[in-house]
Amino acid sequence: MRLNDDPAAFEAFYRRHVDAVMRFVVRRVSDPHLAADLTADIFLAALDSAHTYVPGRGSELAWLYGIARNVVSAQHRKAAIEARATSRVAGRRLMDDDDLTRMEERIDAERRMRNALEAMQGLPEGERAVLELVAIDQLTVTEAAKALGIRHVTARVRLHRARRALENVASPSAVYQEGRI
Amino acid sequence: MTNFEDRLLSALKDEITTRKAEDQMTTVTPVRRTRRIVGLSAAVAGVAAAATAVVALTGVTGSTAYAVSKGSDGTVDVQINSFVDPDGLESELAEAGIKSVVDYLPAGQTCKQPRGENGAADGKFAAGVSKAGGGIAFKIKKGHVPAGSTLVLAITKSEDGESAAPSTTSLQIVKGTVTPCQPTSAPAIPPADNGTGGTTDKQDNGPTVDNGTEEGKGVTDKND
Repeated sequence: MRLNDDPAAFEAFYRRHVDAVMRFVVRRVSDPHLAADLTADIFLAALDSAHTYVPGRGSELAWLYGIARNVVSAQHRKAAIEARATSRVAGRRLMDDDDLTRMEERIDAERRMRNALEAMQGLPEGERAVLELVAIDQLTVTEAAKALGIRHVTARVRLHRARRALENVASPSAVYQEGRI
Repeated sequence: MTNFEDRLLSALKDEITTRKAEDQMTTVTPVRRTRRIVGLSAAVAGVAAAATAVVALTGVTGSTAYAVSKGSDGTVDVQINSFVDPDGLESELAEAGIKSVVDYLPAGQTCKQPRGENGAADGKFAAGVSKAGGGIAFKIKKGHVPAGSTLVLAITKSEDGESAAPSTTSLQIVKGTVTPCQPTSAPAIPPADNGTGGTTDKQDNGPTVDNGTEEGKGVTDKND
């Protein structure tokens, strides 16, 4: 697939994933303007990285989420801020009032997920990354491994550890058990 | 009806087009063969350059030569990478709600002034023209080109070809009928690439600049 070469192919790709990318973003930021910027940045980064996409090797979404993670986690870095300032595509400038309202609704809808992500803050980065993609973004373990560029077995081990660590904090399963007793 | 997702898609598609144009521009060899033909007739030299460039630029279609995008606040961003296909740019601008007349002139020529009545909304019109790659970029803010007015863009191409930075860019707003561009000879082609010749040689561009300031309507950006 020549994502950065063929506007029609890119349009199909974009339409398949724009909703998932926006959900990915609003699970992590609660400022609607920043969410619009990051959505645009993620697709721009996908164009930059189009050469790394190999059709048939894992899902498109896993590849895109891998990029999305990098963009969102780099958002506070100076280089990212400067790149956005000079970018020809600035997400927030493309939003009108209706879009702003819809973005705020998306942000509200993902409130629980943002809280869950906060609960994972204490986990080691490697484990948290796998758990985020599997539990929050609903990727399979295989897809999460691909998104993070790690081996499948490594992802499984990290996921297992992350789950065990969370059992000791206020995880949904712990709450459920308390309710039954 | 459009929304954020649609607007982002079209901005990204424009970005793909612009990037492709930029990639192509780096591979196009500037047309330099004719630039030493000085003195006989600037017009002939210009036509020859244009004819040669068409061959060199066959890969560049109208859509990669320029990009027009409209922001949600009504600002229209225009980027011209290659000074070919003025009609295509006019129709892109029309889609963005801006009536325009675009002329690309061979090196050494400008349009005879005036082109019509000053049509800027408040008598003044300012748009920053910046060099972008080998081309130019500018923004037209909402209301800058009122109904019944026309954006008049006249660009004197560089003697280095369609994809090099232009020697003169003139942007103005004209109310009502626009006089078609009557090419008139501007300064002689500078003898060499040194930027110093520009100031004196381009004195003949005076009409463009003077009319512009007098009526407070034009912006002229001169690059060497």
